[in-house]
Amino acid sequence: MYWEESIETIKRDDLDKYQIKMLNILINQAKNSTFYKKRLFNYEKINSFSDFQKIPFTTKQDLRDGFPYDFLTIDIKEVVRLHSSSGTTGNPTVIFHTKNDLDEWSNLIARCMYMAGVRKEDIFQNIMSYGLFTGGIGFHYGAEKLGAMTIPIGPGNSKRQIWFMEKFKTTVVHILPSYALRLYTHLQEEGIDPKKDLSLKIAFVGAEPHTEETRRKIEELYGIKVYNSYGLSEMNGPGVAFECEYQNGMHLWEDNYYAEIINPETGEVLPDGEEGELVLTTLKRTAMPIIRYRTRDLTRIILGKCSCGRTHRKIDRIKGRSDDMLIINGVNIFPMQIEQILMKAKELGANYIIEVQKENFMDKLYIKVEINNQFFNGTLEELERLQKHIIEELKNEIGVNPIVKLVESGSLPQNEGKAVRVIDHRK
Amino acid sequence: MAHQLSIFVENKPGKFEKITKILGEKDLNIRGFSVASSGDFGVLKIIVNNPEKAFEILKENNITVSIRNILAVQIDDNSGSLHNLLNILSTNNINLEDCYGISVAYNKSAVIIIEVEKYPEAEKILLANNIRILNDSEIYSL
Repeated sequence: MYWEESIETIKRDDLDKYQIKMLNILINQAKNSTFYKKRLFNYEKINSFSDFQKIPFTTKQDLRDGFPYDFLTIDIKEVVRLHSSSGTTGNPTVIFHTKNDLDEWSNLIARCMYMAGVRKEDIFQNIMSYGLFTGGIGFHYGAEKLGAMTIPIGPGNSKRQIWFMEKFKTTVVHILPSYALRLYTHLQEEGIDPKKDLSLKIAFVGAEPHTEETRRKIEELYGIKVYNSYGLSEMNGPGVAFECEYQNGMHLWEDNYYAEIINPETGEVLPDGEEGELVLTTLKRTAMPIIRYRTRDLTRIILGKCSCGRTHRKIDRIKGRSDDMLIINGVNIFPMQIEQILMKAKELGANYIIEVQKENFMDKLYIKVEINNQFFNGTLEELERLQKHIIEELKNEIGVNPIVKLVESGSLPQNEGKAVRVIDHRK
Repeated sequence: MAHQLSIFVENKPGKFEKITKILGEKDLNIRGFSVASSGDFGVLKIIVNNPEKAFEILKENNITVSIRNILAVQIDDNSGSLHNLLNILSTNNINLEDCYGISVAYNKSAVIIIEVEKYPEAEKILLANNIRILNDSEIYSL
């Protein structure tokens, strides 16, 4: 059940040798860019990973400072596409691709989708944004490469989404987790039971951090398998790491990316199993190689072999971005920790907002969460018990006493794009 | 068995009004209500002339609502009659989960809406003590 068996199950020794070879090619290629010409001045041939790890990190700020062409290694006429961050603050991050870069990327996504069980016969409804954002187009090309019929519908307009699902018997979707939860309420309103009335089997969720509990909730509501995917536009987009059938960590494609976990404070490379910031190097991208890129995503390498037979190491679910971390009266908190607790309570809906503000020189953490209409038994006592229980659970998890407000279903703002979950009024 | 609607409401201006607006537009008539609040949120309980219909309509409007069993008993509107009712329940060890009164005819009679754990038992005890329990149509057309 492999898309490319010899690569996916390559022996570790061979993979290591392959990576060293590719890193040398990459370094030579990168030197053609204005940025790396200076940066890699002292680096000739590397013989080991520890040689490679002497090269300084590349940061998001470096990419911004190098706007627009400092990272480009080839003539612009060889470039066939660019993707870009929105760049609302400062220069956007722009990534260039050659024809071959796009083929490699599409192939990686096809590999991911095939691994999760998608085949040529499947009908794939791509509910992600198209355009500069890499999530929509990335999966689109991957699905076509695999050979599944692709519906490039994009996000929003729930009625039309449901109509397509019904008429074309969609089996696979790619969707934001927050939108999957919202779409379910639309299905309910239309009296459609996704388990009986739709043909869905598989959902790919990503582009937003989410918890294991959210994934399980979507699986339960739709009666499908939900696979977590990891990617970032600087590393092409989706397809960097992906879950196999065992849904226990994401195989990071090490024939395309060299991965390290570092201590975000000191930059020291950590051994497998320890939690830290993921640092990635593109191994195959020609137009714009990036070396030792600080993703700011916190995770760890999962130890041990995977039962699926693939040898590419797995990373754990992203715990959060180092810049998502909230510091509340000196305590470090990740929004994911809060979501994890909220999603466990069936009496609560999927929509929530975290707010932080200063009151009398102290940080106060407010959590507003919607009630789930279906599990309301009609008594105040039950609501009070629920509120108390959630506060207690949160206090145990995050070590801070939050103020939990139960709000009416549908009363929190809903976004078509990525959900805005955290509002920090202290900034 | 008679029913009331129990509705989750945030403690904010306009939240109760939203409910009365939805019901009013569909010609549903509120016969009695009570509000219990716990700071930021509360529970609104209402007796309405057609609870099933009102339940559906509120659901359609994405209101958090549930439908609950009640007993509506009629007592005289004079001193001592509420005490008499409560005394019957407590001596028979029936715990009131919630209760509120509606005065129906000034100086004549009042209706007490009660919620308990054990319905058939409570009903039997009240009838044995000559307490009048209203039937569904009587309650909804109060």
